[in-house]
Amino acid sequence: MDLEQLRKTAAEVVSREDVKYLIGWKKGTYGYRVAPVFVEDAAGAAELFFSPLCTANLTTYLTMAEKLPLPRGQEADKRKVALMVKGCDSRAVVQLLVEKGIHRDQVVVIGCPCPGMVDPALLAEKYKETEKPVDLKWDGDQFLLICDGEELAIPRDEVLAEKCRLCRYPNPVISDILLGDPVEKWEVAEDSGVAELDTLDINERWSYWQEQFSKCIRCYSCRNVCPLCYCQDCILDRLNPTWVNRAVNFSENTAFNISRAFHLAGRCIECGECERVCPANIPLGKLNRKMAQEVREKYGFEPGIDPDAEPFQASFKPDDPEDFIL
Amino acid sequence: MTEKPKVGVYVCHCGINISATVDVETVADFALKLPNVEVARTYSYMCSDPGQALIKNDIKEHGLNRVIVASCSPRMHEPTFRKAIQEAGINPYYLEMANIREHCSWVHEDREEATAKSKKLVAAAVAKVRLLEALESKEVDAEPAALVIGAGIAGIQAALDIADAGFKVYLVEKTPSVGGRMAQLDKTFPTLDCSACILTPKMVDCASHPNIELLSYSEVEEIGGFIGNFDVKVRKKARYVDFDKCTGCGDCAAACRVKDRFPSEFDMGMGKRSAIYLPFPQAVPAKYTIDPESCLFLTKGKCGKGPKCEEVCQAGAINFDQQDEIVEFKVGAVIVATGFDPFDASRKPEYGYSDYPNVITGMEMERLVSASGPTGGKVKVFNGEEEIEPKEVAFIKCVGSRDASVGNEYCSRVCCMYVAKQAHLLRDKLPDANIRVYYMDVRAFGKGFEEFYDRVRRENVRYIRGNPSEIFKRGKKLVVKVEDTLTATPLEDEVDLVVLGVGLEPRADMRQTMDLLRLSQSPDRFFLEAHPKLRPVDTATDGVFLAGCCQGPKDIPDTVAQAKGAASSAMIPLARGKVMISAQVATVDESTCRGCGFCVNICPYTAIELVTVNRFGHEVEVARVNEALCKGCGSCSAGCLSDSIQPKSFRDRQILPQIAALGVVR
Amino acid sequence: MSDSFEPNIVAFLCNWCSYAGADLAGTSRVHYPANIQVIRVMCSGRVNPLYVMNALQQGADGVLVSGCHPGDCHYMEGNFFARRRLGMLKDLMEYVGVDPRRFHMSWVSASEGHKWKEVVEKTVEDAREAGPFEGFRRRRIDW
Repeated sequence: MDLEQLRKTAAEVVSREDVKYLIGWKKGTYGYRVAPVFVEDAAGAAELFFSPLCTANLTTYLTMAEKLPLPRGQEADKRKVALMVKGCDSRAVVQLLVEKGIHRDQVVVIGCPCPGMVDPALLAEKYKETEKPVDLKWDGDQFLLICDGEELAIPRDEVLAEKCRLCRYPNPVISDILLGDPVEKWEVAEDSGVAELDTLDINERWSYWQEQFSKCIRCYSCRNVCPLCYCQDCILDRLNPTWVNRAVNFSENTAFNISRAFHLAGRCIECGECERVCPANIPLGKLNRKMAQEVREKYGFEPGIDPDAEPFQASFKPDDPEDFIL
Repeated sequence: MTEKPKVGVYVCHCGINISATVDVETVADFALKLPNVEVARTYSYMCSDPGQALIKNDIKEHGLNRVIVASCSPRMHEPTFRKAIQEAGINPYYLEMANIREHCSWVHEDREEATAKSKKLVAAAVAKVRLLEALESKEVDAEPAALVIGAGIAGIQAALDIADAGFKVYLVEKTPSVGGRMAQLDKTFPTLDCSACILTPKMVDCASHPNIELLSYSEVEEIGGFIGNFDVKVRKKARYVDFDKCTGCGDCAAACRVKDRFPSEFDMGMGKRSAIYLPFPQAVPAKYTIDPESCLFLTKGKCGKGPKCEEVCQAGAINFDQQDEIVEFKVGAVIVATGFDPFDASRKPEYGYSDYPNVITGMEMERLVSASGPTGGKVKVFNGEEEIEPKEVAFIKCVGSRDASVGNEYCSRVCCMYVAKQAHLLRDKLPDANIRVYYMDVRAFGKGFEEFYDRVRRENVRYIRGNPSEIFKRGKKLVVKVEDTLTATPLEDEVDLVVLGVGLEPRADMRQTMDLLRLSQSPDRFFLEAHPKLRPVDTATDGVFLAGCCQGPKDIPDTVAQAKGAASSAMIPLARGKVMISAQVATVDESTCRGCGFCVNICPYTAIELVTVNRFGHEVEVARVNEALCKGCGSCSAGCLSDSIQPKSFRDRQILPQIAALGVVR
Repeated sequence: MSDSFEPNIVAFLCNWCSYAGADLAGTSRVHYPANIQVIRVMCSGRVNPLYVMNALQQGADGVLVSGCHPGDCHYMEGNFFARRRLGMLKDLMEYVGVDPRRFHMSWVSASEGHKWKEVVEKTVEDAREAGPFEGFRRRRIDW
């Protein structure tokens, strides 16, 4: 993507009367950090960029915006929000449209075809951890890391984020403006994380997840970052009825994680954010991607592709599998 | 909900039905220790008068406001106990039952196990009853009018019964005349009544009845609302003939420039009509209609120097400026009597229906033998070279029925009898003809049916057991290739006329009617009744009833009986003037609802819609339930991710404590 | 140990078909294990799949959901929703490592008293084989 074109387009978009602000990425405070930015003018637009470090799914901000009570006589600000999305992020936009979390005329989608994101942890582990300003660029099937005047070529497979290895939609599935040329996808890898767990027997699998869920501290980061978790009063927080106690112990934490995974079945668009932000490194991707895989294989459905689709959990097909029913 | 629950628990002995296996005293003692339980008793027969009196007394003396009855299945006595506690002054929905008979004492042997289980079931019931809400059943007024869709014999009969009872009926018929399929028949089995003779008096009645508003050549476009309060929109199609002026004299049809050029629908395409037409001589209303697809003036904008019909009409009834008219009205009940379509025999190409003019269907045979039909009742067929009176006739039964290859596995119920009848009629008209019926089975189940079938066989109509595999031409004859299975003999019978006993199929426009009223189809694609045995005229939608062949193939007596049944059921809300809406409906907590619309998608009764509300200055969409349409199934709430929509009396916060009470926390 | 273990089964039955079928088993005096306790709901579509998880958490060793046969639902479509939702739940539970023998779903009509008995027996046996559910069971804390 041409960064000049990005900044020019962004400046144009935010200068529109019907646009409130544009949400994009800018360089963070140091090293590999990238921060979200809410751009309202050309000056802000100049900070925008797009690099293999822009992993964060900005769609979550669409539903995060608090609708504060308005003083009498004041009209709600109904202007649109412009949003930069990669392929995976755009699926969240579509799924929100399906669930009426947003309306099509409330958002200007700026699509960014994505050649793949880097996992900063892998980058730090295998190559370089730094607090100095860095530039990371795509270059065919490798990344170029520019730091301190040095240019380092890194083979893509070594540092590519797990979710990108499995990515089926590098190009946005919805957009009002498309920046950059469509990306040609490399062959989709098999989800070895899920496949490996599938081969274990039931007790081994439980041991695995027991260990993982023991690490949970109920920080709710996964829920906060997820673009599709936006209920104002999550049922897992409620006291009346109490689905899951607020106590932070193994039983409740496991119930929390299983419940959330279930609520995301047929809705999760596999952006991988939950796993990325979990401070306890719980492999939530393995959980949510497994459900997404089941929905694809057994029910022939993929969320976040068709904005006119019926929500998976609110519909059924006459030939839904029923081999498990006595 | 600020009132403290005071629970009374009543454990029934049920004679020895429960007490022989469950230690009811122990269960009552256990119940007394549960939170909020004030009173716990046992009694031999809780449902009896003294048993109920016990409860009512305790309510008064101890100020109880919640009641548990641990006894038989709630499917048995829930209404009994609801009534009892209501009479004692507490809301009838403050009752919960624990099934310790059908689900416990009658199915378990070990006394210890059965008693332990009963205790848990009572604990679960107490956990729930403490959280139940007071509910009120609502009553709404019912419009004292009914809509009948379809004016064949079913619709006509239903309309007449309801009108005779004193209620207004809107009878809507798609075609220009009432009468339906029965009007196309010649004679009816087994009595050999002339169909038109017994039908026309009813047709005239329904058009002239003071309580019936007949909307012929009209279609129902939209039905909204619910039982007692249906909002109906009907499109009265333009006939291009002034209804009040037309005298039915027929000069227009005789003068029409395209006279007799179009196939007559009533005569199954075997006769002809003009662009302006009366479907059949006894049509009711006897008013002419211009077919907008055949008329020169309406299709091309010009008819010679001027339309002939307009020229010759002495009453000045022709009006090419006429428009469709929309009428709207309210009714309290709807009866669907839309009838059937005969099976399209061209779907069985092996029988040559599309190839040979002397292979005809049963319906076409009706028109052939009818005195008012295209041949004046003379049985003459064209064998490809000349018109002849057939000497050899073959009837083939089960065409399009009992046949998985065309998707109709069901039996059409009437074909065995109508084929026998038509064979008899042919025997009358062709005394020397050789008439055969090829059959798989003969189903003569009704009153007078077997006797009629016997009579027909004695009239020298030969019944040959075999299902023909094909029909083909040989010279001037048609060959029916079949195996006589009773003698295991392959045959190639040469005939002049083949009559295919086609079955009854659901109408091609079923989908439109279904969409109007949220009707379902049975596996055979006819409309689905509420319960196949006990509710054959009801549908899943309250206030919507079925009559006649649209619900499944049947003959005229069964159709009339069902129409009368549907009319009787439809009159219940009309006569009462009020309708009760169940109290256990779903309700939405609008403060937590996020307007995702899952529940709207899920609800099979379209009882939920998204409405816009103002939340502190912001316009947001939330779900709202139409309580009159909601049946309280709860499918919506299981799909609600934010637990905002809940069915009253079966809320999550009422069920989760039940689960907790049945668990064993270690 | 497993000889004396009696599994605790919680079942959700739809009012119109399965609950009636279980009632019929009762009137027919068909005997089955007492391990099962029924919670009545109006429709199998009412069953929030998280009830299953909640039941296990609160001390059930096995859970059963039973409804009308497809096409027969009193509320037209509820059992179709139940089928999809509970199918997904079963997959999720199994993946997380909860023994699939602990959750069953069945179609039992109002006339199938004998089938109900068979369904109960299978559910109880499977749960017995799977043993007491420990997993993420809620523990009582004795302060």
